[in-house]
Amino acid sequence: MSRQNRQQRRIVGPQSALTDFLASHNISANQIRLDAEARRRAAQIDDQQGDANTHSNGQSSAASPAASPAVDASPAQTTRARRSAGTSRREEEARKKEQKAIDKIKASKKFQKRKRGLADSEDEDDLARLLMQRSAPLPGQMENCELCGTRFTVTPYTRNGPNGGLLCNPCGKELAKDDAAAKKKVKRASGGAVGNRRQVQSKILDGTYSLGAKSLMTLCIETLAKNIDLAEDLGDLPPQIIDKIARKLSKHRLLNPTTLSLFLQPTAEEVCVYDGAKLGSDDFIRIFQTVPGLKKLKIRNGIHFRDEVLDYLISRHIRLEEFYIHGANLLSESKWKEFLQHKGDSLRSLCVYWTDKHFGNEVLSLLQTTCPSLTRLKVCHNQQVTDVGVAALGNLKSLRHLSLDLRNEIHPDVYVDLLSKIGANLETLSLARVHGADNTVLDAIHRHCRSLAKLRITDSEEMTDAGFVRLFKDWANPGLVFADLQKCRQLDSAHPRENPDGIGLCSGGFRALMEHSGKTLKHLNVHGCRHIEAAAFEEVFAPGKVYDAMTKLEISFCEEVTDFVVGSIFRSCPNLRELNVFGCMKVKDVRVPRGKILVGVPNAKGMVIEGDDDGEE
Amino acid sequence: MAENKYITLISAEGHEFVVLREAALVSPTIKGMLRGPFVEAQTGRCRFEEIPSPVLEKVVEYFHYWYRYRDKEDVPDMEIPVEMCLELLQAADFFNLDAMQTHRNTL
Repeated sequence: MSRQNRQQRRIVGPQSALTDFLASHNISANQIRLDAEARRRAAQIDDQQGDANTHSNGQSSAASPAASPAVDASPAQTTRARRSAGTSRREEEARKKEQKAIDKIKASKKFQKRKRGLADSEDEDDLARLLMQRSAPLPGQMENCELCGTRFTVTPYTRNGPNGGLLCNPCGKELAKDDAAAKKKVKRASGGAVGNRRQVQSKILDGTYSLGAKSLMTLCIETLAKNIDLAEDLGDLPPQIIDKIARKLSKHRLLNPTTLSLFLQPTAEEVCVYDGAKLGSDDFIRIFQTVPGLKKLKIRNGIHFRDEVLDYLISRHIRLEEFYIHGANLLSESKWKEFLQHKGDSLRSLCVYWTDKHFGNEVLSLLQTTCPSLTRLKVCHNQQVTDVGVAALGNLKSLRHLSLDLRNEIHPDVYVDLLSKIGANLETLSLARVHGADNTVLDAIHRHCRSLAKLRITDSEEMTDAGFVRLFKDWANPGLVFADLQKCRQLDSAHPRENPDGIGLCSGGFRALMEHSGKTLKHLNVHGCRHIEAAAFEEVFAPGKVYDAMTKLEISFCEEVTDFVVGSIFRSCPNLRELNVFGCMKVKDVRVPRGKILVGVPNAKGMVIEGDDDGEE
Repeated sequence: MAENKYITLISAEGHEFVVLREAALVSPTIKGMLRGPFVEAQTGRCRFEEIPSPVLEKVVEYFHYWYRYRDKEDVPDMEIPVEMCLELLQAADFFNLDAMQTHRNTL
């Protein structure tokens, strides 16, 4: 307060703009002039002293102005102090400071190098002082820019120039720009910790997780998929690689009319369109135009695979052997019939997915006469086929693989009849979502099937444990490789735990299944078979029982599964890759052997444990 | 017989690449060449007349990249130059560097 008043009272004469500016930055021009004079005077005195003493002791010129500015931030104070009190405390301090700096420099490597050839300590001191002078000024002091020569104030942010000097702000910014460009390139784009973790989880659930690096082929295909718009031609790559590229592209939804051309090679026999959602009817017709020797055609999401496409196919000489179509809801039943009548005789495999209304009993009935060599038939997610159509399949004596996933309820007797006719040769039998199928179907399988490798019966609410025991006990069929009996269980919301009738796959059936097929099973799914008891699991996976073939096991929602059972499974299945235990609430803390994946543990560790224990054995 | 720790791969142009034997064994093709009554098995030198140097160089880089990360999680992807992609893909097919296979072989 008082100081302010005093300033206001002071009478001020005319000032230059520079003085005004400096004053606004708390710098007094007068002070600067005084300091400069003081320094000059001090220099004179030093010179005189120096002449008198010769320079026998190095300390005499300790506070010499030539050396001090670099170390001492307030030379003016020093000199003033000297003027007033000769050897005051401040001077002492400054001297000590400088001595310290000199010692430091003497210890430095640079000094040691330069020192070579200098004998006495005096020269050393001189050299040290020289080096000190050349060292960079501290923040707050002035310096000339190394590049443009402009005078500027040094700050902690001042950048170093290419030759070791300092740069002014504009030059520094210029330099930073070049540096930044180089730095950015080096920095890798990564999804961050969370992104990576999410990626790993996603891969585990996709079943594509593995330790170690990706294969070179995968890396190449990924790069290619990223830059597919640059590709004009894939060259003469082997078909299996082209197939891999096609899968990768479809996964990224990159297959469109332009990229489709890459996969249409006139010499090819197989075209797989894994995602045809972006293709129009013309594009599908183009497939037949460019690939005249087509034998295998696979189209997923072929929404625009319409009547006119089949019309075109019928008009050509192409004879398809394998036809896989998914989601072609716009094809009419009459066109299906026409197609089978014209092109059916060469067909060996026919897979039709998600065609709600237009692929029905009449089409299935036609297969007997039009497709004499059909070995594989899949009809999935179909709302049209009923008992009549399934019964008609009994006439297809050549059938080896049959998969049905129908929305209409089919009477068990129809299945029994079908199996008695064609069961003996079947290698694959897949009956998905057969709520009403009962033990008679199982008995028919037991009686007729002799070459099954893959068996799937899901969602049955009628089959009982006794039925499963009868199926697997003394079954003349060789061991299954793939068994999927998921959700064959009792459903009664009023008494969910009680199962007096033994509905579904329970302990007995599970024991019988493993007894019959344990040695050959690679893939077993008993998802949701809630009434398999812990004792059954423990007995099946007891010490000494080894299932070498097993690679994937799904026991989710089997309530009795405990840590002990999971441990036993890992011991009994040395080649197991993945074990699913979603909803097994008694699984708490399991040690997972290295390289195996346990999915679905209900704890905070997350849903997957990838083992890193080296196993207990 | 004491096997040398390194083997030599020779490109079409005659450039030689010295690779850690264990790393190069990722490739079933090279494994086959080195495990049989072939000249390559005795000399440890494999000549690839149809693979140009830049491609072979990249393959060799992959061998070491694979070796380095063979048991790691969260492996960073190796950079593949876009212009070399197709050629490298062919080489990958030749060396049988297919998906998953590599991992299983080492177990």
